Amino acid sequence: MNIREKFGRAAAVDGLPIALALIVVIAYFSIASPFFMTGENIRNLLMQSIFTILLAAGMTFVLISGGIDLSVGSATGLSAAVTLLVLMNGGTLAAGIAAGVATGAAIGAINGFFIAVLGINAFIVTLASLSIGAGALQVLTSEVQLTGVDSPGFAALTKASILGIPAGLWVTLAIVAILEWILLATPLGRGFFAMGTNRQAAFLAGTNVRRLELGVYLISGTVAGTAGVLLASHLNSVQPGLGQGYEFTAIAAAVLGGIALFGGRGSVWRSVVGALFLATLSQGLQLTGVDPLWFNIVTGTSIVAAVALDRGVQHFVIGRLTSPPKQGTRSGPPPEGPATGAESDEEASVPVSTLSAARNV
Amino acid sequence: MSHNVVDTETETNAAGPVLIEARALGKTYPGVVALENVSLTLRAGQIHALLGENGAGKSTLIGLLSGTKKPDSGELLVDGEVRQFTNPKQAQELGISTIYQEQTLAPDLTVTQNVFFGRELKKGKFLLDELAMRRRVEELSGEFGLSPSDLDRAVGTLGALKQHVVQILKALAFDARVVILDEPTSGLEDDERQMLFEHMARLRDRGVALLWVTHRLDEIFGLADVITVLRDSRWIASVDPAGHTPDSLVRLMVGRKQLATEYDQVHAHRERGQGQGSGEEHLRLESVTRYPLVRDVSLTVIKGEILGIAGIAGAGRTELARIILGADRPDSGKVFIEGRPVSLASPREAAKRGISLVPEERKTQSILGTMSIAKNISISDLSRVTRMHAVLDRRKENGIARSYINDLGIKARDAQQKIVNLSGGNQQKAIVARCLFNNPSLLIFDEPTQGVDVAAKAEIYRLIYDFVDGGGAAIVISSELPELLSLSDRIVVMREGRLVGEVAGVGRQGNERSESESAELIMSMAARNTGLLVDNTLKEGVA
Repeated sequence: MNIREKFGRAAAVDGLPIALALIVVIAYFSIASPFFMTGENIRNLLMQSIFTILLAAGMTFVLISGGIDLSVGSATGLSAAVTLLVLMNGGTLAAGIAAGVATGAAIGAINGFFIAVLGINAFIVTLASLSIGAGALQVLTSEVQLTGVDSPGFAALTKASILGIPAGLWVTLAIVAILEWILLATPLGRGFFAMGTNRQAAFLAGTNVRRLELGVYLISGTVAGTAGVLLASHLNSVQPGLGQGYEFTAIAAAVLGGIALFGGRGSVWRSVVGALFLATLSQGLQLTGVDPLWFNIVTGTSIVAAVALDRGVQHFVIGRLTSPPKQGTRSGPPPEGPATGAESDEEASVPVSTLSAARNV
Repeated sequence: MSHNVVDTETETNAAGPVLIEARALGKTYPGVVALENVSLTLRAGQIHALLGENGAGKSTLIGLLSGTKKPDSGELLVDGEVRQFTNPKQAQELGISTIYQEQTLAPDLTVTQNVFFGRELKKGKFLLDELAMRRRVEELSGEFGLSPSDLDRAVGTLGALKQHVVQILKALAFDARVVILDEPTSGLEDDERQMLFEHMARLRDRGVALLWVTHRLDEIFGLADVITVLRDSRWIASVDPAGHTPDSLVRLMVGRKQLATEYDQVHAHRERGQGQGSGEEHLRLESVTRYPLVRDVSLTVIKGEILGIAGIAGAGRTELARIILGADRPDSGKVFIEGRPVSLASPREAAKRGISLVPEERKTQSILGTMSIAKNISISDLSRVTRMHAVLDRRKENGIARSYINDLGIKARDAQQKIVNLSGGNQQKAIVARCLFNNPSLLIFDEPTQGVDVAAKAEIYRLIYDFVDGGGAAIVISSELPELLSLSDRIVVMREGRLVGEVAGVGRQGNERSESESAELIMSMAARNTGLLVDNTLKEGVA
């Protein structure tokens, strides 16, 4: 029983299914295309996925605490624009980076204020700031041409090679590690889990849910700002519409990683695996010559399939663990009594997640 | 008590034919008997009142009659035929309508739309027949005090009484012959209540059978034709109100039950330990008001004391607890801790001042379901399971959890087990551990033994006693009067947001009453004297 449960936990909770799905996809494309498993391609793939990885890591915090942040895409675009604007107007490298990160943080703080302090629904608030951020980017890019700067230091932020790996990847890796540490090892992270699991209970037990909620959007915005700085360094130009749709890719990645949309479950690395899965799929489809018209359909379908696999495995394992077969009585649904349905929240999250993900990736 | 019990079968006073007959209905949930061998007869043109304490089985009985629950034993006859409802729709089709305490109307739809909600009249297959629906509602509504202009208003903008009327119309529009009213007068002002009674009398005149669940004993006289009393999930009596007074009904509701022997030992222990507290005041409330659920409440809790709070559901007990915990802000009034005035803005602040709550609804308000026992305990003060105030120290956290698991006798595999997988009683003990970890000086227990099995109950009592014997102060809110009476040193009674009386606990100084006498006293304070006299015209209708 004990060993079975340990195995069950590993298979059900720790994002193993999505990791397996990633391996399967990598294996398939490695066989299907001779160009897939080359150093050059892997480097490109990873460099293109760092923005999704970062946003998905930030989104993990929001989702675990039971919220949603739709503004991260436009926050990323706007932060990238602000960074370039500062650098093009003679700002130092540090000032440019700080301005970009601060832009994201400011958007996060505003979101947090409306959601945590005024108690407005997170979906509505962040939908509005998505729109405002994207609009601000359009206004900004219509006033100034953000065509880039000739700053080797800024370009090096993502492109410099350290031990054969681009600097952008190192930066992403460091941020992801810090975020995972905050989530799993600090009281702050524990608070996010508690709040997402049962907000009312956490509140009555003396957790400062309002401050935690503010914190979660601040983290998400700051991470988006950082992603914007890296994106500006990577592209060295900003067009209107930059970052559009990133929020949905981030949500899709987190959901693929098994993060419950209703909160309380997940970890950063699992979202990162989800982001890598999406990036690998898109890269692989290009390399194998699939008509780009079909990309969205294939991606959407695979998201549903991966999530279904993940939840299917969980339900199977948890069903085995929580209801020993000896209990054969078929009396009606047990009311008020001791709760057993541990995963019911997550069940409910599946349709929503797959819908939004399939629509926008 | 048997001399005034009237068997409804033999009763013949002007009532119509039997519409519903429940025979020996029973319902059992795992570990809990919700209803046992309950029989009931509903006749056309009769108002049948259903009485009982919280948890006496009234809701279960309604559930069985309205088809939302299935009986495990006994049978239900409608018009003399045995019926088995598998869903509420079947009951509705036989003319049984239920009007629940909580509103089940769609607040943004109009009266007409609500009346026909889900059962709209149609022209052909797809088109709604607005005109026919409107006409049908108009036909019925005038009599019940709804003007034609009300019919097009959103239900949410109508008052509580009119919303009740909409529910009544909803029943009548589909020729309901049996209407079940679950505490219809809660939330109504006195004059509105009066109007509702007139509507009920009108329904009776139409030949409808009414089953009326209520907590207010004074309301019943003059309106109810038969009164059935449930207690401890059992049928106690079906009586004619003519031979009864509110006092005699209270006696039927409370009964003369003895303390369950398994608790005796625990309580005996308490009597020895009694009086170890310093006797100093710990918490004092002065005229605390949070309208409308808490009104002008003043009370004091002494160190080493257990203060019980009694009252029927909705009397404002939980709301008062939330104010003391800082979860809700009072509109006015003062809170003192150890003689000093304090303003508690959040449970976090209350926790810093040593106040913790074991909430009422375990599933929705206390457990962090998918998290481990250890995490559920440490959440009340994470700063004490960290290294350098920054990093969680899992080993320390688990060690603390293990010591609580041992001390409180929590039956769990290990500290890592998810709390949802524990039984109700063990979940509750883990929540008590969470509160104790916060080093409280005042613990509030809201229905601490709800959904907890008998053995665990005694253990939870022991935890409460240990806490106050260690110098702490405790407030216990409970709907189980025997529990409250034996546990508390003093009991205050709340009704409609106010404190209406105080009774000493059984066996405590200054209380010469027996348990049942005290219980009757509390029940009559909690349920009576609502300041309402039933209108005389209605009384004539009965005679």
